[in-house]
Amino acid sequence: MSLSKDELIRYIRSELNIDTPLEGDTELFSTGMLDSVAMVGLISFVEQHAGVRVQPGDVTLDNFDTVDAILAYVQSLD
Amino acid sequence: MSDDFDRSMWRLLADNLPARPGKTAAVDQGRAVTYAELAAEAGRVADWLVRRGIRPGDRVIVHLRKGIDEVAAMFGAWKMGAVVVNVNIRWTPAQLAYVARDSRARAVILPRNALEALVGEHALPKGTAYLVQGKAEGLVQGADPWGALAADQASAPDEPDPRGLAMIIYTSGSTGAPKGVMLSHRNIRVGAISVADYLGLEESDRLLSVLPYSFDAGLNQLTTMLLTGGTVVHQPLTMPAEIIRMAQTESVTGIAGVPPLWNQIVRLLVDRPTDLPALRRITNTGGKIPPNILELLPQVFPGVDIYLMYGLTEAFRSTYLPPEKFAAKMGSIGRQIPNAQVFAVKHGEGVAGPGEQGELVHAGPLVSMGYWEKPEVTAQKIRPCPELAHLLGDEPVVWSGDLVRVDEDGDLWFVSRMDEMIKTLGFRLSPTEVEDAISQSGLVTDVVAFGVEDADLGQAVHAVVTYLPQADETALAAHCARAMPHYMRPQRYHPWQGAMPRTASGKLDRPAIISAAKAALQN
Repeated sequence: MSLSKDELIRYIRSELNIDTPLEGDTELFSTGMLDSVAMVGLISFVEQHAGVRVQPGDVTLDNFDTVDAILAYVQSLD
Repeated sequence: MSDDFDRSMWRLLADNLPARPGKTAAVDQGRAVTYAELAAEAGRVADWLVRRGIRPGDRVIVHLRKGIDEVAAMFGAWKMGAVVVNVNIRWTPAQLAYVARDSRARAVILPRNALEALVGEHALPKGTAYLVQGKAEGLVQGADPWGALAADQASAPDEPDPRGLAMIIYTSGSTGAPKGVMLSHRNIRVGAISVADYLGLEESDRLLSVLPYSFDAGLNQLTTMLLTGGTVVHQPLTMPAEIIRMAQTESVTGIAGVPPLWNQIVRLLVDRPTDLPALRRITNTGGKIPPNILELLPQVFPGVDIYLMYGLTEAFRSTYLPPEKFAAKMGSIGRQIPNAQVFAVKHGEGVAGPGEQGELVHAGPLVSMGYWEKPEVTAQKIRPCPELAHLLGDEPVVWSGDLVRVDEDGDLWFVSRMDEMIKTLGFRLSPTEVEDAISQSGLVTDVVAFGVEDADLGQAVHAVVTYLPQADETALAAHCARAMPHYMRPQRYHPWQGAMPRTASGKLDRPAIISAAKAALQN
């Protein structure tokens, strides 16, 4: 399975109710745009759509703060 | 001693200025302020409030992300005598608007995007003053940007009655609209004095603040640090890996959490052990940590004192279990904190003795002023206790609604919310007992047990669970059949997809979880 950038952006905008523009480098958590509850949904979306297992220790700003970072993290798991 | 109780919230910050103006008071990611800088920032906010016509006693809403600005906003309001209403940044525009109207707030301090959401049905009365974090251009009339605040005029602080109203904490009630709990300056100060005493906090402490300041236990971390001249380190993110990273890089000496957070942190640390040499103590409040996680705490936090605590917003903080008892009494909430009087009361009979159960009641200087503009609800919750009349006369006490068991040493154990007790097959069963037994299976991350009316059983035990990977109902039912007496075993398991909802302070939102499961039953 693979996860595309468009798919991920669409999920964040619709499911997590973000109506501001979202770029690959928009900071999601460090700016407070998303919170911990959104994080849980985001992780299960990534796990399902990319077919990966996210370890608790990997849930960091480095890996999850932007759409680009999430995609790079998922790729590193392959 | 009681002299020391009667000081204003502003003094909690300002009393540090003569001795330690250059000491670091608060740290954000990438920013830190000294006591003098924090007081000056608060002074700028106070000057702005006065300039906008806010008067002592007026309510000022602080709705900001955890950080130095949030602290400055609260103390700015306290400096000029206003009442702080801290509304959690995670609350929705509808909730914020409700609280603003209910408290008749005259000023709101908030980020730009939150202000922009206060439109249409959520619009606040004209004349409300807004102080806005973020971009200054194009702000609506009545709104001033934080960035353009004038320099601190070092105005004289207001001198409020220490027994007067300092803060309203709104709790997102399980039923109906949020209610505001009124805390006096004295309530909050006594809370700081009592907790700093039993935690042994001092000037060298650096507490990691993850829990919101709109929650009594979160606020208490800030107030104890200001009382002792320590440092508070802010972590607005609730990602366990980021919390532990910050604890490490900032050399924090204490972390406070609620059960779902400890659950996540322990799982992380089991996976990736992390050395935290500066850490002296961790504290839990806001519910019972599942037993399988409790047992792992000493292993992932070697040499760290573990405090289990219990508090009610209506009485600020109530009990704690000293760390030296942790190994022997894992899960107990211990006894009353200094300056509080806490009892287990058997209705109509008296004080519960060893081996008995009773409702936890709380008396003394931490008892709050009741609910904002709800005298009937206040009179129900905070009223004299005839069973304690020989000790307290007609002094009002907080009736917690929590059933506790008293052990042979007089330490208390949480049994259940009284209105959540399950009556099944003639047994009175605590949902906590069911939840503990299910957690012990190691097959679930979260579990909530509840009773459902049943013609044959009285009530049937149901459990909502989030399974760990590779776990399922067959495995869990097999565990329950081994580990629990028949009447305690759930008749039905409701699998929960994803994470269970949390309240804004991070606790499991039990009423929401139970009503979702009940709704699914009816379909």
